[in-house]
Amino acid sequence: MIDKFWKYLKYHGQPFIGLVLILVLGTVLSPHATDGTIVFLSPGNLTDVLLQQSEIGIIALAMTFVIIGAGIDLSVGSVLAFSACVTALMLMVWNPHGPTALQVAIAILAASVGGALIGALNGFVITRIRLQPFVMTLATMIGVRGFTKWLTGNVNVDLGFDATPSGRFAELFSSKPFAISLWLSLAIVAHLILTRTVYGRYLRAIGENERAAAYTGLPVRKVRLAAYIGCGLLAAWAGLIHAARSHQGNPNDGIGYELDAIAAVVIGGTALAGGRGSIIGTVTGTLVLGLLTNVLRLHMVDSNLELMIKAVIIIAAVWLQRRNTGVHGEL
Amino acid sequence: MLACRDIHKHYGGVAALKGVSWSLLPGEVHALCGENGAGKSTLARIFCGITAANSGEIIFNGQPVNWTGPQAARQAGLGIILQELDLFAHLSIAENLAIGNTRMESGSWVSPAALHEAARPLLRDVGLELDPELPLENLSVSQWQLVAIARVLGLNAKVIFMDEPTSALTDDAVERLFGLIRRLKERGVTIVYVSHKMNEIFRICDRVSVMRDGEMIGTDVCAATSIEQVIQQMVGRTMTATRRKKIATPKESFLEVRNIFTRKLRDVSFTLGRGEILGVAGLVGSGRSEIGRALFGRSPVTQGSMILEGRDFKPLTPHDAVSRGVALVPEDRQREGLISGMSIRQNTSLASLSKYSRASWIDREGEATAAKEALANCRTKLTDLELPVGSLSGGNQQKVLLAKWLLTNPRICFFDDPTRGIDIGAKDDIYRLVAELAEKGLGVIWVSSELPELLVNTHRILILHEGRSLGILDSPNATQEDIMRLATGHPALS
Repeated sequence: MIDKFWKYLKYHGQPFIGLVLILVLGTVLSPHATDGTIVFLSPGNLTDVLLQQSEIGIIALAMTFVIIGAGIDLSVGSVLAFSACVTALMLMVWNPHGPTALQVAIAILAASVGGALIGALNGFVITRIRLQPFVMTLATMIGVRGFTKWLTGNVNVDLGFDATPSGRFAELFSSKPFAISLWLSLAIVAHLILTRTVYGRYLRAIGENERAAAYTGLPVRKVRLAAYIGCGLLAAWAGLIHAARSHQGNPNDGIGYELDAIAAVVIGGTALAGGRGSIIGTVTGTLVLGLLTNVLRLHMVDSNLELMIKAVIIIAAVWLQRRNTGVHGEL
Repeated sequence: MLACRDIHKHYGGVAALKGVSWSLLPGEVHALCGENGAGKSTLARIFCGITAANSGEIIFNGQPVNWTGPQAARQAGLGIILQELDLFAHLSIAENLAIGNTRMESGSWVSPAALHEAARPLLRDVGLELDPELPLENLSVSQWQLVAIARVLGLNAKVIFMDEPTSALTDDAVERLFGLIRRLKERGVTIVYVSHKMNEIFRICDRVSVMRDGEMIGTDVCAATSIEQVIQQMVGRTMTATRRKKIATPKESFLEVRNIFTRKLRDVSFTLGRGEILGVAGLVGSGRSEIGRALFGRSPVTQGSMILEGRDFKPLTPHDAVSRGVALVPEDRQREGLISGMSIRQNTSLASLSKYSRASWIDREGEATAAKEALANCRTKLTDLELPVGSLSGGNQQKVLLAKWLLTNPRICFFDDPTRGIDIGAKDDIYRLVAELAEKGLGVIWVSSELPELLVNTHRILILHEGRSLGILDSPNATQEDIMRLATGHPALS
């Protein structure tokens, strides 16, 4: 077991280097509170980072699957806004007397189904009509954004703070224990699917060599379709957390989230060419990005500079990855 | 004119060349043979500046040289035709010929018309009568090989290394290549002919050098040695080159292909019995691989019918075909067979994964046990199943693919040139394995570019010419001449 652990670190340990580096950097540079404790390491600060990263983190999990299958999904940011707005609309606007608990559940279900359907549309066109993933999801990114704006009339839909089911939904979904544990438990499930199931094995085979996978008789289309459906679904769930945290459905939110999610995936060592990647890497990559922002903000670093530093981190991470050789990650 | 002294090369801890010294004469055709992994390709790559040696020197025209890269070697007049064809699928034939060729590509402005004019004589030389504008992706493996040869001709090289040039060629193209080699020799070009094929070596080469385990074992004049002697030097022990094995007689037929048409097949019919090995012979573009594609749902059957075990058989995808018990080992191992980043275990189990999983959860112990057993049945000697499959030699990679399909318990196996480019020992293992499969009652369809191999190992041979079946011969009574006559479009005389 320890043997296996070292072997894993040797081949897939590269994202951890960044994580450790940032933790050390954050600790050393951190301002101290009045009682002398290190602000960066305080549980409050660290869980803040986890909560902030939970939306991107959840999307990045599904993005890892899509990218390992040699695809890409640019529509996730729009799906997140769509899900947040549908939830808010169903709770508040289409339901003038205030929702019941059952109706909250229906709203969540509707947002989830909507996200999964958009994913299915992406997957269907990509696998059947054989449009390139980049082109198809670029189209849905634009289209879903427009649809969401049309649904809301391009205005924000408030969720309300009161003790109604709607307010309680916002309170629950934005709470640290809920959002963080949703992200981390989804990560565990995703990791197990990728490394331990037939689906995960097929996905990696298809991502690396679709032709050989087809010649082996693997259900290539179904496997890739499922990855896009999962991506739509998880983007919708991230949208629920987003709606709860911002207490509203904003049709203009989530712009650029797809790129943050892809950045997290790439920093985590997943190859954009497909076939190779891991959930552990993606979670690490998400944390690296979140902690980096946190370290810089604790020092009040200018946010423009922050973006430039992020850019350097992405390049450095991918450059380091080229030394990373080995068989597909199976811990 | 070209020589090397005490070349050492190691990859990581593995020594590929252990102090090789060798020399070539001007205008000779020099065979370089050895089993896979003997170091032939590595040596050729070092000569041509693709790989750098760890120590030792290369002497060209009396001067020690130190290539900075393949371009430097190319400009000095050293051309190489690699085993893995280093061509560009999306570029046209003419563009492929011009890439890296300073005489065809002077300056940064390229005139398409001039390019095509320059390409035509080269294509004629290798006997490839195709439009130079055609993108390479539309060509067959064999045609790719010819383009690769034409490209090296365009360099006006003084020394040409050919690494397994005939492994993907059909017999007529091989003949044309031999004619070309003779013409090049007359022009004073030195040719290094890396190959496994003894009869080719003895037909075309002046001298033969044998490598084994990274060492040069010896160089002889072809006329003064024999096939047996060279093989003995290669394997380091005595071994019979071919053996006519008794194959059990086939039972009732269970696959019937009736007058099928596809994009490339015209009215092809045949039957396959339980325990039968049906050979398929044909030239480039004859549609021999297409039969496999039709059986495997990769190429739609537009007319005619296939009946498998009494039921209609219309596979739309490979998935359908696999579920009816069809297995296909493709011609192109790298592109269509292996997932090279995955381990040997993962590649072996890929087609039968559902057997070692419950509710989609993979039982890795069961998977590894099954993979190990199947690989052992295919006589694969392996130390670690967790190594990437790409680390194996060609012969062992082919055995991994065979093991993968045997795990699915197929009823019909379609082998598309399974012995292409693999060493003699592995070939022999595959011959025996196929005979064993037939004894167990499987139907085997075996496409091959090597006619002697088909004659010895099959019951009957189907001969295709331009998508049509020109006849089915009984292997024991057939000769290579009979097959060649049919394959070139001349029906039997009698």
